[in-house]
Amino acid sequence: MQAASMDPAEEPPSMLWGLDPVFSAFARLYIRDILEMTESTQVPGIYFYNLHPISKVDVLGTVVYKREREDFFCYGVDDGTGVINCLCWKSDLLKEEREPSKSGAQLSAAAQGGFEPVAELQKLRRAQRTRCHLEIGELLRVRGPVKTSRQQREIKASTYYKVSDPVMAVQISWMMEAPQLYRQCYDKAPQLEPDAAGDSAVSSLSRATKILKDFLKQKSVSRFRPYDVQDLLQPLISSQPQAASADQEPVAGPSACQQLRQLLKEALQILQDEGAVYRKVKSQDEVYLVTVQDKDLLVAVKDIIREDSRREKYVEKGCHVLHILSAVRQRYSLNVSRAALELVLKTLECNSDIISTSDSHYTAI
Amino acid sequence: MLPSAAVFYFPWEINSGSVEEGQSVRTFGRLVCYQPEESRATLSTQHASKEHCVVVHTLFVEPFNPITGAQYIVLGEIEKDEGVGAMVRARVLNCVDGVNIALLQKAITEQRNFFTERERKQGAQPADAT
Repeated sequence: MQAASMDPAEEPPSMLWGLDPVFSAFARLYIRDILEMTESTQVPGIYFYNLHPISKVDVLGTVVYKREREDFFCYGVDDGTGVINCLCWKSDLLKEEREPSKSGAQLSAAAQGGFEPVAELQKLRRAQRTRCHLEIGELLRVRGPVKTSRQQREIKASTYYKVSDPVMAVQISWMMEAPQLYRQCYDKAPQLEPDAAGDSAVSSLSRATKILKDFLKQKSVSRFRPYDVQDLLQPLISSQPQAASADQEPVAGPSACQQLRQLLKEALQILQDEGAVYRKVKSQDEVYLVTVQDKDLLVAVKDIIREDSRREKYVEKGCHVLHILSAVRQRYSLNVSRAALELVLKTLECNSDIISTSDSHYTAI
Repeated sequence: MLPSAAVFYFPWEINSGSVEEGQSVRTFGRLVCYQPEESRATLSTQHASKEHCVVVHTLFVEPFNPITGAQYIVLGEIEKDEGVGAMVRARVLNCVDGVNIALLQKAITEQRNFFTERERKQGAQPADAT
């Protein structure tokens, strides 16, 4: 109703549709609303319920109409608020006919106790066939995109099956859930505003981190000093509007150069916290090592695990992360963080040098 | 081509005159008697210390297995018949014995409240009876 009276000019631009989680979900709308929602003028096949872009729906209802064709079933589904046609394609499985005599013989073999994959598969197929073949009065669940053909709205089923609901438990819970879903989600106006007012300081920091990461990965950098990468962040500083830099209290006033250094410092701190880089020795000379490119560290960790997983204490379960961490700190560098170690372990595991025996135990191969 | 949507009604509303002839409804009740020669079944429900009966014309759903005393859900069109009053010409008659009737009533009320609330919010348009 409200959807039907929506002014086409109000339609949010298609660029922003993805920001609404409803867009990529199967919306559990009442059939009445599915029949009444407006179709998008920008993209046919997309509909709007209360400004929410809807691409596919999920309905449950009684079959009140049925037509069978060679390739598909057409079921009329009634959920108590409306009736909609559902186009349900038959899968190839469904069209195949089996010889009853053969399957009967195999089934009896299975009944004698042996596991017969062929017979089991046939049972599965038969179950699937009965689930797809409905009579009037049975309960059907359908998910799929909505389309309009010959001025009639229908659901093109991507999944459909008969629901066994002898005491109406499924239907009742569906009926109880729908109003909640509407109140909490569909009837609330979506927030489709692009994040224009986002904190520019935060976003420039995350952009800086991304630039550094991409650079380190692309060039396979193994070690660097801050001034080596400083120029990469230059565009972020100069492109920042004047107003935004005035908001940044600690760096307000200082020159672009100072801002740049501050930004770099924060970005490097984030990379260190994530374990992507670390400093082997803390000295005046700021040298950062890229964790996964540091062959010595990889070898050191591998050696620790290989040696210690032979020890009786660890032979069964493997070494715990914290044990490896303390060993690395003793033998290699005090400054290796747990995050960095976990990156190393992941890399070693990807190379099949070690395997994880639990989420925090590792053993050598 | 498609029949109109069968809206849930409580059995005591069927005979109260609020439902018009030809309207599609669905309702529930305990099967108390079935007369195959007339294709007529009677569903009954207790509500507010009164017994309410709904007469169902079963021609379209025959043959079916009548279990006296079991809960049934019926879906069909209202026909006004002299003598009997409102009668449901069944398109679907399902045995749902074991159903939690109290919960079902709650679910029906919830759904109705939701729609009245929404229509009230939208104001202008009067409630249409789909």
